[in-house]
Amino acid sequence: MTENYASRAEILKLARVLDVTPERLEYLARVDADDLRAFREQVTDRLFDANLTVLQRMALAARLIPAPVLAKIAEKVFGPLLCARIAGLVDVSRGVDVAKRLDPPFLASVAADLDPRRASAIIARIPLETVVAVANELARREDWITLGRFVGHLPDPTVRRSLDVVDDPGLLRIAFVLDDKSRIDHVMSLLPKGRLAGLITAAGADEQLWAPALDMLAHLGEARREAVRPLLDTLPGDLRDRAQATIK
Amino acid sequence: MAERTLAEQLGGYLPVGIEALEEHERQDLADALRDARHRQAKALAEAGEEGLRYVPALLRGAVRKAVGL
Repeated sequence: MTENYASRAEILKLARVLDVTPERLEYLARVDADDLRAFREQVTDRLFDANLTVLQRMALAARLIPAPVLAKIAEKVFGPLLCARIAGLVDVSRGVDVAKRLDPPFLASVAADLDPRRASAIIARIPLETVVAVANELARREDWITLGRFVGHLPDPTVRRSLDVVDDPGLLRIAFVLDDKSRIDHVMSLLPKGRLAGLITAAGADEQLWAPALDMLAHLGEARREAVRPLLDTLPGDLRDRAQATIK
Repeated sequence: MAERTLAEQLGGYLPVGIEALEEHERQDLADALRDARHRQAKALAEAGEEGLRYVPALLRGAVRKAVGL
């Protein structure tokens, strides 16, 4: 059951990388999630490594341009895709200096095209208030995949503040597409008391959230499973049975 | 020129589960990847060329040289 959810989450993420609809990739549902993840990383690397020489030259040229001018060019001309591709190639301090000058909506678009593995040093040094503003914008766009990708690359206090601006259904959808599912229990530990109950209530109110909720439950540690058991009584019968079986 | 297969586009190796797909399914993935690469190359080229126009005139020559134009 868990594997099936994992494959579905991988299809959503691969569709994003290829810029196609998840429905087009439906035939991948029978492929093992680990294979899908390895394939997605291959495709991501292929796209990021394409045009690398030109991008490296651009990153080099960017060092000649003052940061305020570069930020303006980035936003007005380069656009989010080019900025995302160059981000992993520029000096960290330079990248942070430019990123701080960009508007949160634009940064949110850059984040959507970014490979966090390649720009984690920059991401980790962007000021907390900026990250929260970007998280807010991504939540407004319901871009759960991008939010999920960054949870693995941000310090705990930043994750905590960022998730404050996401509602309960959104949080379930983020957990569903997290790259590292072993972090789910840890992420839950960063949430305020009562948030877990809110997630369960949200799942009970919307059948589309059943799969994300069951997947989240499957990745909880024993202590948190203990805490969640009494909350399941409020769920609709079918979901309650499946949830209880998931964490038994 | 013949279109490159999925494995050729990705350096020759595919994960087992992808290798085991039907041929038309692998072809669909190959098409999607090729289209994504083409879209990206076009977008990057346009953005790079257009960006030069906004570089201050004094720096334009040096920047053009660094980019290799």
